[in-house]
Amino acid sequence: MKKYISLFHINWQNSLQYRFSLVVYIGGYSIYIGVLLYLWSAIYSEGQSVGNYTLSQLITYYILQLMINSIIFSFVSWDVIDNIKTGNFSNFLTKPLDYYMYWFTINISGKMLEAVFIMITAGIISIFVSDYVSFPQHLSTLIYFIISIILGIILAFEMDFCIGMITFWLTQVRTFKYMLQTMILFFAGAMLPLDLFPPLLIKLAEFLPFRYLVYFPISIYLGKVENPLPSFAILIVWIILFLVLSRILLVRGIRRYEAVGA
Amino acid sequence: MIRVLKRYMRLYKAFFYQCLKEDMIYRSNFLTLVIMDIGFVCVSIILFKVIYGHVNTIAGWTFNQSVILIGTVGIVREMAYLTFRRGFLELGNHIRTGTFDMFMVRPIASGIHLGMRHLSISESFGEGMMGVALVIYGFIHLDTWSWIIFPLYILFLLNSLMIYYGFSLIINSIVFWVVKSQELNTVVYFFMETSRYPGDIYRGIGKVIFTFIIPIGIIATVPASALTGRLGFNFAVLSLFIGISFLCAGLFVWKMSIEHYSSASG
Repeated sequence: MKKYISLFHINWQNSLQYRFSLVVYIGGYSIYIGVLLYLWSAIYSEGQSVGNYTLSQLITYYILQLMINSIIFSFVSWDVIDNIKTGNFSNFLTKPLDYYMYWFTINISGKMLEAVFIMITAGIISIFVSDYVSFPQHLSTLIYFIISIILGIILAFEMDFCIGMITFWLTQVRTFKYMLQTMILFFAGAMLPLDLFPPLLIKLAEFLPFRYLVYFPISIYLGKVENPLPSFAILIVWIILFLVLSRILLVRGIRRYEAVGA
Repeated sequence: MIRVLKRYMRLYKAFFYQCLKEDMIYRSNFLTLVIMDIGFVCVSIILFKVIYGHVNTIAGWTFNQSVILIGTVGIVREMAYLTFRRGFLELGNHIRTGTFDMFMVRPIASGIHLGMRHLSISESFGEGMMGVALVIYGFIHLDTWSWIIFPLYILFLLNSLMIYYGFSLIINSIVFWVVKSQELNTVVYFFMETSRYPGDIYRGIGKVIFTFIIPIGIIATVPASALTGRLGFNFAVLSLFIGISFLCAGLFVWKMSIEHYSSASG
């Protein structure tokens, strides 16, 4: 455990170098939310309504979606892909580190800083558009929300790790990853709330695990989920399934590994 | 003036063939890029379609007209990849490794040379082709039109390209100070992504910001407005003025920034 803690610490220090990103984050996200606010205000001002969302619920949805995008989604697979492609992966085979746990730690420590950034950003944005931000009524809602985010971080990491594992079989994995990522974002509800989709797509989205990454936590926050416990159970089943899949892919991948360039 | 232009045209041609050859090496990559591009455009259309499943118009734009907006962004993007865009994506690397020296010592304007060195035919080809198809689709569904809209559309496309170039010059100039360029490219990417929404949604202070400072209310909206016959004379003149201003501002900021360049290779 101790080695993972120091790993966490080192990576945290590394990320701190990029303070310039914070400026870009705050600027960029504020403008993005501003654009969406104008877009949806224009739609609502014509007396039209969208599903069973009020304007402030939609804006809250987008602010939360930005936060969740940064906090939940893992991007370590870029490094995993590089790592396997360049043959640096060989180093890990000789170290007493678990490859899965290594990247999980890197992911969490990278996310921590990003989480701080994004909370500050979201806070500032919320002050500007305070008329359009809604808050949960009960404490239990907030607790469920936080639990769903923590579970989301784990599930998103597992999915990302599995994508990284594809590199063992397919060297041109990058374009493939872009496509998978877009599909995941789409069915996660990161682009539009899932319940605005046409019925067929809603059915499909409900069947897929991606909805637990964005749509599900936000729905809890907005009070649209009566009793989240059954969904939590399904979410945990997905987490276990993806954990098993990650492990199988890793073991099989190592067997296939050719140590390119090493 | 004409001689200079002719010289640049000749250079462009030479660079174009060179870059085409580079692209041809990775032919299978070309196909995946095109498929991926088409996929991304389809996602945007689906998202618009979903919104239009709940409403009839967005700030006066119907679905078929919004399709022209999406298509126009695609066309402007492809035009940018054929002129300058990928050069800016590579700029961070050139500065970090010191290979930017090469652009400083040649008898061509560095801001143009950088773009021409990295022309890309394949990068946004799919989106460009989809763009043309979408604009044609939207055009067929127009109720009225006259011949004048074609030259106007092309004129304002070029104007948007000019704005995009000026904006890229300004944003990417920051890289001379911070060296890390990933975020800057993301900013430029989102600049184009958010251009898909009609400029008519902006009101008050937003109208000012998204017209003059971050002109995402112009890039796609003005050409598409010209095509759908909703472009007023005053706004047309104003957007041409903004186009020229952005180009001048961009070139000015660029010129100032390269003076800050300190070679890394030694």
